[in-house]
Amino acid sequence: MAIKTVLGLFQDANQAADAGDAVKETGVSENDIDFLTDCPYPEGAFGEREEHIKLFLFPFIGGLLGFVGGIMVTSMTQMAYPLITGGKPILSLPPMAVVMYEGTMLGAILFTVLGVLFESRLPHKMTEAYDERVSQGLIGVLVSTEEGKEQEINDVLSKSGAVDTKIA
Amino acid sequence: MAELKTLNHHYKDMWVFPDAEDLAGLPAKATSLGKTRLLLWVTLILTVLGVVGFVMRASADGLSNYEPWGYYMAAFSFVFMVTAPAPLVSVAFRLIRSHWRRPLTRIAEIFALVGIVNFVLYIPLMLMIPEIANPNEIGHHSLDIRRTLWIQVPWGAPHFWETAAMFSLPLMSCLILLLSSTPDMSASIQYVTGAKKKLYIFLAGYWKGSKRQWLVMQAAIGALGGLYFLTLPFVQFLISTDLGMSLIAGWKDSIFPAIYTLMGFQTSLAAILIVLYVFRKWGGYERFIGASPFWSASKILLGLSLLWIYHMFAFFITFWYGRMEVEQNILNYLFVDSWFWIFILNALGSWLIPFGILVWNPVRRADWGAPLAGVFVLFGALMFNVRTFVGAFNAGREQIYDISITVVPPAVAPDIWDLFMLIGVIGLAGLVYLIGLKIFPVMNIWEIKEGAMYQKMGRLFRGNYLVLAKPE
Amino acid sequence: MQEGRILPPEQINKDLLNSIMSTPKWYWPAVGICSFIVLIAATVVAYMINKGLGITGLNRPVMWGFFITNFVFWIGISHAGVMLSAILRLAKAEWRRPASRAAEVLTIFSLMTAMTMPIIHTGRPWRSLYWFFPYDFARGIFPNIRSPLVWDPSAILTYLTSSVLFVFIALIPDFAILRDNTTGLKKIIYTKLAMGWQGNARQWKLQIVAGILLSALILPVFVSVHSIVSWDFGMAVSVKAWHSTVFAPYFVVGAVHSGVSAVIFVLILLRQAYGWHDYIRREHVEALCRLLIVVSTGWFYYFVMEIIFGIYGREADEVAIRTLQFTIYPWNYIMIIFIVTTYFLPIFLWSRKVWRRNLLIVSIACISVNIGMWLERYILFIPGQINKQVFTFTWANYTPSLFEGIIVLGTFALVTLLLLLFSKVMPLIPLYDIKEGDILKTEVQIGRRTVPATFRED
Repeated sequence: MAIKTVLGLFQDANQAADAGDAVKETGVSENDIDFLTDCPYPEGAFGEREEHIKLFLFPFIGGLLGFVGGIMVTSMTQMAYPLITGGKPILSLPPMAVVMYEGTMLGAILFTVLGVLFESRLPHKMTEAYDERVSQGLIGVLVSTEEGKEQEINDVLSKSGAVDTKIA
Repeated sequence: MAELKTLNHHYKDMWVFPDAEDLAGLPAKATSLGKTRLLLWVTLILTVLGVVGFVMRASADGLSNYEPWGYYMAAFSFVFMVTAPAPLVSVAFRLIRSHWRRPLTRIAEIFALVGIVNFVLYIPLMLMIPEIANPNEIGHHSLDIRRTLWIQVPWGAPHFWETAAMFSLPLMSCLILLLSSTPDMSASIQYVTGAKKKLYIFLAGYWKGSKRQWLVMQAAIGALGGLYFLTLPFVQFLISTDLGMSLIAGWKDSIFPAIYTLMGFQTSLAAILIVLYVFRKWGGYERFIGASPFWSASKILLGLSLLWIYHMFAFFITFWYGRMEVEQNILNYLFVDSWFWIFILNALGSWLIPFGILVWNPVRRADWGAPLAGVFVLFGALMFNVRTFVGAFNAGREQIYDISITVVPPAVAPDIWDLFMLIGVIGLAGLVYLIGLKIFPVMNIWEIKEGAMYQKMGRLFRGNYLVLAKPE
Repeated sequence: MQEGRILPPEQINKDLLNSIMSTPKWYWPAVGICSFIVLIAATVVAYMINKGLGITGLNRPVMWGFFITNFVFWIGISHAGVMLSAILRLAKAEWRRPASRAAEVLTIFSLMTAMTMPIIHTGRPWRSLYWFFPYDFARGIFPNIRSPLVWDPSAILTYLTSSVLFVFIALIPDFAILRDNTTGLKKIIYTKLAMGWQGNARQWKLQIVAGILLSALILPVFVSVHSIVSWDFGMAVSVKAWHSTVFAPYFVVGAVHSGVSAVIFVLILLRQAYGWHDYIRREHVEALCRLLIVVSTGWFYYFVMEIIFGIYGREADEVAIRTLQFTIYPWNYIMIIFIVTTYFLPIFLWSRKVWRRNLLIVSIACISVNIGMWLERYILFIPGQINKQVFTFTWANYTPSLFEGIIVLGTFALVTLLLLLFSKVMPLIPLYDIKEGDILKTEVQIGRRTVPATFRED
C-alpha cells in the first residue's frame, strides 16, 4: 500500500504536541509522526519518540582507518626512499607520530561527517509534504499514513488547531 | 527530587535540589565530620614515621649536601603540586560562575591549611640548595655561575625571594579560606560547642550577613584569588627550576615550569574530586552533591590529561630532534634510560589511564568516573616528581657547574628513610587536611543555599528540564 | 543572555538573511577595493615568480622574512574559530551563539590565505607538489616526513578540511531556510545544498550531537596545527632563540589571543555594517573581552618563559640575539611596541566593564593585539637569523621590500574579500542557534527580582 504524508502547521509548540497526541489516538504509531521545526527544540519537548543514534561508532572507525593510513604513509614512503636526515633513524617514531596523529584525526572527522549525513538520512529527496512556512517559525507535524487514511489525519490536525494542512 | 520526563537519560542524581529542610540541617551536618578517628591515627602514624625518616637522614647526611634528599624533595613537590593550586580551583570556578562548583569549593579551600605545611617542609630545602656561584671551580668545564633563573644573582637570590614567595601562598590561601567560611561559621555557631564555638565566635562573630558584608567578602575573595593566580605560577616556576631543572647541567627547558603548573591543576582537581566522592558516597551528602560536578569536572580533567601529553611531547620532540649530545643525555637520563620505568608509570598515570577512563561519555556522567581517573592522576604525579626531583638531586653534584651533563647517571632507588619521608610527608598533609575538615564547615553552606535559589526543574512544553538562573 | 529580546522567527530570518537578500550601499565599493588590492598583490606574485625571490629583501642569512611572519600570523588568526565555536559549545556558553559562524568562517579563509604564503615563498610554487605529496613523481623520491615542513601541510590540510566540513554541517539548516526563502537559480542551488533537510527531531539531534562531537575532535587538531607550525622553528638548532621547548603552547595561546581579537573586531564591524544590534550585543563583546584577559595573561606567561629561558642558558650566541631584540635599533622599538600593543594596552582597555562595553575602545584594543602579534612573529623570526651562527661573515640586516609589503597587504584584502563574498551567499550568524537561544530563555522569580534563566537539557 502506498504511503501518504500529511503535514499540519501550528503556531504554538503546545498545540503541536497536542496534535501529535491526537494523531496517536487514531492508531498511528509514534514512529510515523515527526515534528518539523526551524531550530532545535529540547529533546522530548513535543513528547516525541526518542531518537537512537549511533554516531559515536563513526569517529572510532574513521580514526582507526586514519591511524592505519598514517602508519602506511609515513613508514612506506620512508622505506621506499631511505635517506638518513639529521642523524635520525629512517623510521623515527616522534615525527611519524605527528603525521599519524593528523591522519587519525582527519579520518575520525571525515567519518563523523559522513556519519552525520548518513544518520540524518541526507541527501534526501523531499517527497513528503513540506511547507516553507516551517522556516518562518511554524511547527510542522508530519504524519506518514497508509493511503486512504490521510483525510482522517488531515481532519484531526485541523481540529487540533493547525493553521494549514497539506497532503502529499 | 523531581523526576526527569525528558528523553535524555542522565545518571541517577545528576542534579540535586536540596529542600528547605535539607538546607536548615546543613550547618549542623557540615560542622560534625563524623567518624574519622581511624584516619586521624593512620595519618598521625605516617607523620611520625616521616619525622623519624627525616631525623635519621639529617643525622646521617646533614643538610648541607642536597644529594641524599631527593626523595624528600619529591615528596614535598608532590604535596605542593597537589595542594597549592586547590584554592585557585575554587576561585576559578567561582569566577566562571559555574553552578556545579558549589559543593566542592570548601573542600578545595581547606587545602590552604596544607599550604602552611608546604612552607614548613620547604625550609630545609632552602638550606640544601647549592651555591649559584662556583668559587671553588667544581666541575670539568666549570661555569663561574651555574645555570639558574637568577641569571646575575641579585641580592637575596634565591633564598629570600623564594622564601617570601612560598610564604605568600599560604597567607593568601588561608585568607581566602577564612573569608569564604565566615558566613558558614557564623551560621554554625549555635551547632558547635567548646573550643570550636569560641573559635567561630572569634573569627565570625562580627558577621551579620548584610548586603555590604557579602559584597565586600566576595570582592575580597576575587581580589585575593587574582593575586593568588598571579603568584602561584611564579612560585611553581621557582620551585621547578631552582630545585629541579638547574641541578641537571644542560637542562634548559622553557616548557618545564608550564608542565609543572599544568600538573598542579590536574592533580588538585583530582584530589578535590576524590574527596568530593568520599563525601557523597560515605559522608551522607548525596542530597547536596549530585553527579553534575563530577561530570563537568571530568571534562576538564580529560582536557588536562591530554594537555599533559601535549606538553610532554612538545618538550620531547624539541630535545629529540636536533640530536645534540646535551639534549640526548637529558632525554636518556629522564626518559629513555635511567628513569625509563618511572616515566612509563608517570605517563600511564598522568595521561593514558585517565584518558582511557574519561573518554567514555557514560563514565564521565557517572559520579565514580572522574575520581577513579583522579587516583591514577595522583599516582602519575608522584612518579613525575620522583623521576624529576630525585633525578635532579642525583644528577651529580660535580656536574651542576658544567655546561651540560656528559655522563648519564643511573636512577636511585629509595632506602628505608626515603620511604619513611615519602609516606610521612603525604601523611602529614592528610593529617592537616583532616584537622582542617574538623575545624571548618566542610560544605560551602552559603553557596549551596544560593544554588538552591538558582537551580530547579522546570517544564518546557512536554519536557521537564533543568532551569539555571544567571543573576549576573 | 540577559540583554537580548526574544524576536519572532520571521524577524530573525529577515535580519540575518539581510546580507544575502539585499545589498547595502557600501558592499560593492568594499568588494571593489579589496579585489583591486588582491589583484595588485597577485600581479606582484606573478612578477616575483617571473623574476625570482631576489625582488624581495630576503637574502642570506635571513631566508624567512615577511612571508613566513605573515604565514604564522594568519595561522594564528585561524585559531579563533575553534576556540569560540568548539570550546564555548562544549562549555555550553550561551554567548557563543552569534560569534561561532563568523569565527569558523574566518578560520577557513585565514587558513587558505596562510597556505598561500609558503607556497609563493618557494619561488617555484608548482614544485611544492613534488615536495609534499606522497607520490613517486620521479626518481623514487618521497617527502621526508621527519621534517616539520612536511608535518605543516598535513596539519593545515587536516584543520582546513575539518573546519570546512564543520561549517558545512552547521550550514545545512540555514541552507534549508534559504531554500524556503529564495526563488529561481538561488533556490535550485540552496535546495541542492540543503540536501532535503526537513528539520525533524532526528536531524536536529544529530546537529547538536555532531556539533559537540566535531568540536571535541577539532580541538586536538586546533592545538596540533599551530604547535606543528611552531616546530618549523623549534626544531632548528642552528638559529638561536628558536630552539625552545615552549614554542608549541606559546604559539597556540598567542594564536588564540590574536584570533579571538580578530573575531571580536569582525563582529563589531558586522554589527555596524548590517545593523545586527539585536544579535551581536555589547554583552557578547564584553564576555569575549573577559575571556581574552585570561588568554592574554596566559600568553604573557609563556612569553616571559621564552625570554627567561633564552637568557637562562647564558650561551653567548643566544644572549647576543636577546641583546639585539631588546637593546639595538630598530628591534628595541619593535619590542616595546609589540609588548605594549599585545598585552599592556589591551589589558588596560579591557580592565573596566564600561570600556569593555564600548565598541570603539574594544576595536582599538583588538587591532592593537593584532598589530602586536604580527610584530611578535617578526621579532621572533628575524633577529635569530640576522646573527645566525656560526658564519659571522654572513651577518646582515633584513630590509623588507615594497613587493613583500604589497603581498602582505594583499592577504588582508583577500581575507576581507572572501568574508564579504561569503556574507553574500551564506548567513554569518547561524539562524537556528539564535532561535534555539530564544526558546531556551526563561525567568526565575526570587523575591522582588526576576532573574534571567536558561533551560538546559544537560
